[in-house]
Amino acid sequence: MSFHLLGWLAVLCYAGAEAAAIVSLVAPKTRLAWITPALIGAGLALHFRDLLLRARALGSVPYRTLGGSVSLFGWMLGIAFLVLLLRHREHAIGPFLIPFIIVTSVGGLLLPDAGSPPAEGTHGALFALHVTLGILAYAAFTFSFVLSILYLIQDRQLRRRQTGLLFSRLPALEVISRMNRTSVTVGLSTLTMSLVIGLARASVIWKTLADPKITFAIVTAMVYGLLLWKQRRGWQGPKVAMLSILGFGLVMFSYTIVNVYLSRAHRFR
Amino acid sequence: MNGVGEAKLLLLGWNFRTAGMSVRERVAFSSEEIPEVLRRMQGEGLVTEGVIVATCNRSEIYGVADRDGANEYLTRRISEWRGLEMAEAEAGSFYREGAEAARHLFRVAAGLDSLALGESEVLGQVRTALRLAREAGATRSVLHRMFESAVAAGKRVRTETEIARHPLSVPSIGFELATKVFGDMAERTILVLGAGETGTLFAEQASGAGVKDIRISNRSRARGDELAARVRGRAVPWEDLSRALPEADVVVGTTASPEPVVTKAGVEMAMHERRGRPMFFLDLAMPRDFEDGISQLYNVYAYGLDDLREVAEENRRRRSREVPKAEAILEEDLAKFLAWFGNLAVIPTLTGLQARLASLRDAELARVPEGERERFRAFADSIAAKLLHEPMRRMKAETDASRKLDRVEAVRHLFDLDA
Repeated sequence: MSFHLLGWLAVLCYAGAEAAAIVSLVAPKTRLAWITPALIGAGLALHFRDLLLRARALGSVPYRTLGGSVSLFGWMLGIAFLVLLLRHREHAIGPFLIPFIIVTSVGGLLLPDAGSPPAEGTHGALFALHVTLGILAYAAFTFSFVLSILYLIQDRQLRRRQTGLLFSRLPALEVISRMNRTSVTVGLSTLTMSLVIGLARASVIWKTLADPKITFAIVTAMVYGLLLWKQRRGWQGPKVAMLSILGFGLVMFSYTIVNVYLSRAHRFR
Repeated sequence: MNGVGEAKLLLLGWNFRTAGMSVRERVAFSSEEIPEVLRRMQGEGLVTEGVIVATCNRSEIYGVADRDGANEYLTRRISEWRGLEMAEAEAGSFYREGAEAARHLFRVAAGLDSLALGESEVLGQVRTALRLAREAGATRSVLHRMFESAVAAGKRVRTETEIARHPLSVPSIGFELATKVFGDMAERTILVLGAGETGTLFAEQASGAGVKDIRISNRSRARGDELAARVRGRAVPWEDLSRALPEADVVVGTTASPEPVVTKAGVEMAMHERRGRPMFFLDLAMPRDFEDGISQLYNVYAYGLDDLREVAEENRRRRSREVPKAEAILEEDLAKFLAWFGNLAVIPTLTGLQARLASLRDAELARVPEGERERFRAFADSIAAKLLHEPMRRMKAETDASRKLDRVEAVRHLFDLDA
């Protein structure tokens, strides 16, 4: 197993970004606000180089190994975080989202890096796009899950008149809601694209769509689709957050149990 | 007039801690009066520089004076000008000198000496005080620097601590809670029920915070129209209240109605029309304007006076916990100012001391036969140099600005350098 120096340096940058985000949360100073995105950006660049090296060693996009796939997930989380930050300029979410980037990136460095031989139809640019979009969707849904938890915490604090440090630092319900909408929109769009590509390839190569992974991906897309549709019709509040948490439950189930035990085509060994 | 190095900082004040309202009213200075008072103080030689900080809770005269007993002269003159008995003026006043005068100003600017701990308004009032004094030609380098430093320290305290972050007044707390639901309030619709004192206070706060759509509904149409015009809002006829309700994101109850003016059923209907979009109710009325149980409705946030008072008390405790941190910042900035001021004072003090010894030497040499004088002069100079060497070195080397200033004062007093 290679040492992944660049990957560890990226983790160091993410950890620095987390520290800066916590400092900004506890003692907000606009002068420090740029440090978090700068360190995340630097971490993403190093992380990308590490993924490239893995890809060269494997001769394919590094989703074929468990370590590579989790590392790619961590990188996508970083991208999703930057998108959210730049789109909404809300720095208070950093301390809650960055730990997910760190944990997955570290996981990607520690998990096994040896891949099984590619199954039929699991190579080529289109397949790479299918997997990459799927992982990006999962990253966006992860953040939607965290934002939903933050929404419920802030809602509870408002109802219980708990106006402590966390209350004053967390964004307004409306802002968390908007960020959640962005996450779900990104997640649903990329999941749909990934599904369309996957379905097209599966029907041509395997001549069948009967795979639990496909079923769960469709159900997940339907749950998030319902959520977005309801939101567009003015549906707001804790129920949206709960539905988003349910959606993430499906994502996790699909990513773990379905991948490992139920699906034949999407199994990691 | 002596140079700045021999000047003393002084402060003579009356504030809510030391003087009753009757005295404070008499020594209150309006912004129109301040330039004239400052000119008179300077004209009569009471101070070389002066600034008056006047707020509803305090009248404080900061000055640079070059004579002892300036506070007594100043108190006497102020009591004469304002028609107060000297004893009455003295009893309610407080006096600070040197570093303590500067420290007090820094604390005032930071809101640590305010009735509402950490309030921000006083910073603007300190700035205004400096501007008025400058326009009246009453400030030079010392007070100008002291006030600029105090304002900068006050700003630092507010940015680097939580002292001004948690609101204390009931309408401000209500507004902050609404902000935590809706985020930017500029595009939200606020409906204020009642155009009395509390309604006016809230509407003005909302208008000041940039809310563009403020609607006022009042039983008496004329008062509602008047308040709506003042906050650039819209008046809603009292009869149209149920129609106006679904359009409002925030509803504030401030009427004197003995019955609730908004019912749970009314809010349910409004929420239905809003398709469940959140609504925020703030009941600042006594008896209450909103029926019980509306906070149980989905996506409805409702707060009453008791809830807000609880938050106010908690916020007050939070601000108090920030005081040590704020004081540390003030001491840091105060030390910088005092170091600058102390350095201004050290050099003239040392030259004054040397001059005083030289004059004593010359007086004694006059009694010595002429032929012996040069020998005695060298002898006297040698003793004076040896005697002064250590005190001078210590005074120059003192790093604690406040102590340096005290030592300068002590030397000036012991050797009577201000005579």
